[in-house]
Amino acid sequence: MLVSWMPFEKGKISDLLSRVQKPARYLGNEWNACLKEHDQAVVRMVFAFPDLYEVGMSNQGLKILYECVNSKPDLLMERVFAPAADMEDLMREHDQLLFALESQKPLTDFDVVGFSLQYELSYTNVLNMLDLASIALYSSRRSESDPLIIGGGPCTFNPEPLAPFFDLFVLGEAEEFLPDLLRELGVLKGQNLDRKEILSRLSALDGVYVPALYRPIYRDGILCGMEKIDPRAATVIQKKIAADLDSAPYPTAPVVPYIQTVHDRAVVELFRGCGRGCRFCQAGFIFRPVRRRTQSKIVETAEALIAATGYDEISLSSLSSADYPQIDSLINEMDEVLAGGHVKCSLPSLRLDSYSVKLADQLHRGRRSSLTFAPEAATERLRRVIKKDISEEEIFASLGDAVEAGWQGFKLYFMIGLPTEEDADVEAILSLCQRIRKHFIHQVKGSLNISVSVSTFVPKAHTPFQWEPQLELSRVIDRQQILRKGFKNMPGFDYSWHEAEASLLEAIFARGDRTLAPLLEKAWQLGCRFDGWSEHFSFKLWQQAFRELDLDPGSYAYRRFNYDDYLPWDHLYCGVNKELFIREHQNAINANLNQRREL
Amino acid sequence: MSRVCFIFKRKMPLAYISHLDMLRLFLRALSRSRLPLAFSQGYNPHPRLALALPLPLGVTAAEEYGEIYFSETIQPEQFINTLSPQLPSALELRGAFGVALDKPSLASLVGAAQYLATLKCEPGNEVNFELVQASLKRLMARKEIMVQRKTKKKKTYTNVRPYIIKAEIINRNDDEPLVLSLLLQAGSRGGISPFFLLEQLESDPAAEGIISCKWQLHRERILINQKGILQPLSEGM
Repeated sequence: MLVSWMPFEKGKISDLLSRVQKPARYLGNEWNACLKEHDQAVVRMVFAFPDLYEVGMSNQGLKILYECVNSKPDLLMERVFAPAADMEDLMREHDQLLFALESQKPLTDFDVVGFSLQYELSYTNVLNMLDLASIALYSSRRSESDPLIIGGGPCTFNPEPLAPFFDLFVLGEAEEFLPDLLRELGVLKGQNLDRKEILSRLSALDGVYVPALYRPIYRDGILCGMEKIDPRAATVIQKKIAADLDSAPYPTAPVVPYIQTVHDRAVVELFRGCGRGCRFCQAGFIFRPVRRRTQSKIVETAEALIAATGYDEISLSSLSSADYPQIDSLINEMDEVLAGGHVKCSLPSLRLDSYSVKLADQLHRGRRSSLTFAPEAATERLRRVIKKDISEEEIFASLGDAVEAGWQGFKLYFMIGLPTEEDADVEAILSLCQRIRKHFIHQVKGSLNISVSVSTFVPKAHTPFQWEPQLELSRVIDRQQILRKGFKNMPGFDYSWHEAEASLLEAIFARGDRTLAPLLEKAWQLGCRFDGWSEHFSFKLWQQAFRELDLDPGSYAYRRFNYDDYLPWDHLYCGVNKELFIREHQNAINANLNQRREL
Repeated sequence: MSRVCFIFKRKMPLAYISHLDMLRLFLRALSRSRLPLAFSQGYNPHPRLALALPLPLGVTAAEEYGEIYFSETIQPEQFINTLSPQLPSALELRGAFGVALDKPSLASLVGAAQYLATLKCEPGNEVNFELVQASLKRLMARKEIMVQRKTKKKKTYTNVRPYIIKAEIINRNDDEPLVLSLLLQAGSRGGISPFFLLEQLESDPAAEGIISCKWQLHRERILINQKGILQPLSEGM
């Protein structure tokens, strides 16, 4: 007796779900998710995040753009994330195209696929997602019926390594601009214009960069300019900004994931931009000018967020939240409004000063395990060079305040490979940590936990350090070795570091040009995915890709640019003049000299 | 303070979220409903919500139990009417009733659970009915099924055979998928996962065909063991 029947409900996707590790990544349909009829929308867009669901759903840009597009009745936005390796294998095995979470429709059913470019090491995932969606990798090979592949986010301030894969980039903040762009696309599509003409017309809009309309000029293999080949396109592309945050759209009913995400809480943005000007920090420059939300708007938004999501925590986010002018009064008002509902507030970015510790003390209820600070460098000289101006006395004073307020430990972030750094600066990390431990060990009840996390400096475009080379890999490894050995002999520390090879790759793509595109394709073909995840990152495969294309990693990461060199991102304007970057770079060099003179 | 016990159904696709995700989902829904939650005392006050028996990943359910404490008296109807609109459609409240504060916790009452396991095969890869019947018979004939369990320091061996109260094929219709009914001990006095039993079936050397098929699990009921008699959990409250 044989039994036979039609076994699976609703087709292939639900079948695949029962065979993967975390099926909830691919369910869609979460609380506040927006499912619209495709034929009711003039333009359909899918927001593509080239990392796992848990990472992408923590991205505030996604929430903002999802709200600002879906609040328009004529527009539609769905979401897609990079499938994990197990899902990818099953999809390929069963010819399942990459699908958007809301409607489960393939990406080719949309007019626009918009990638969020947050991090250089997610680039291979971009290619992989295009491939899984059966969309040609190269813009030049796409057909009239293919969606427009567009990109946004911090990495678009030097998107050159990705240029041939994208039809269009939006420079800067898109919350006010994106609906206009989509509607314009709808109008042009309605006129039956071809893809090339549509892109050419869109390139006339402020903030739009259509890479195919610019041709890089090389002399002796070195980039020396960008030639504009369409008169409609801008010579220098200006970034878009939301001028007034109070009136800019902000999501008060974001999607609430079924599974735990990296930042599993409501987020209200206090202000955008940062006035501190730390010289290594790209966000500090590309998000200028500083724009604030008013206190009343923040509180109103927070209340609406909690009511619509049910989160028990709300993060008061910005690049440096303690710098919000009336932060004391804001926290008091938040407490009044939210405390009855057992909702806690958190500040994601704390400075190393007594004021910030006082704020943390005010906010933090419950067990006080550890407080996070980022001194970045261990010597006063080096901190001056990077403009993280804080003295050692201040560091000890604020750590002292934290201990007094009941915190049992610290998490300290440092960078190595900073410009002008020497071995002595790295050894100073050890001695500073040791002094901190000695000083506070008897002041805490129980044991003092200090975890130290050390990353490698990556010179980024649109910062005063954009001309600086990255420290060579072998020397980074040597300096990591100093720390590893040092911490081994110093019990009581939890030391972790970033893979030096991954930081090298980050630097290559952060300051590289279009010659890197074939390399990216090669690495993806060799199997590179999720390069930002140490369990997936394979430097060997990347080395093989470099070898096969006869490219030299050092020529991208270790090259020192001169002030009059043409930089791959010189045609993209972040709102800060090159003169200021030069001046700040000079100030860094002078800070170094002055400090050395004093010693 | 009041205590409400509720009964709910879990449908696809919400079978794909874990027990902890379920708790978070209920807490967020409760918070949106603005019902007056009671919080535990102590350093980290949290709402007092519990589900009677964790549902494994991938398992749908017809009659699950949960309980929650409120700072004021909440009527069962009020609870259902206020919470239901805040729940995704795949979670359906089927009933609620008030419970005295001094009654034991739901979880401590659980004695057994009944599952339905449907065997799903792709066409062309059918399974012999008698083959499953025979492996099931062999399994049930065993006196011992030893399982290694690790506690903090030592490994212990438990015979889980007594935990299989009943396991049988309940349909004999050729045109329908094969369905097993499993009645398994569960709760604080020990139990086994339905997945474990199905793995045992599949590991029978004679049961080769089953492996390329897939079981779809559904929890029918959670039961209380009252002096040897299994009854719906609500009987114990």
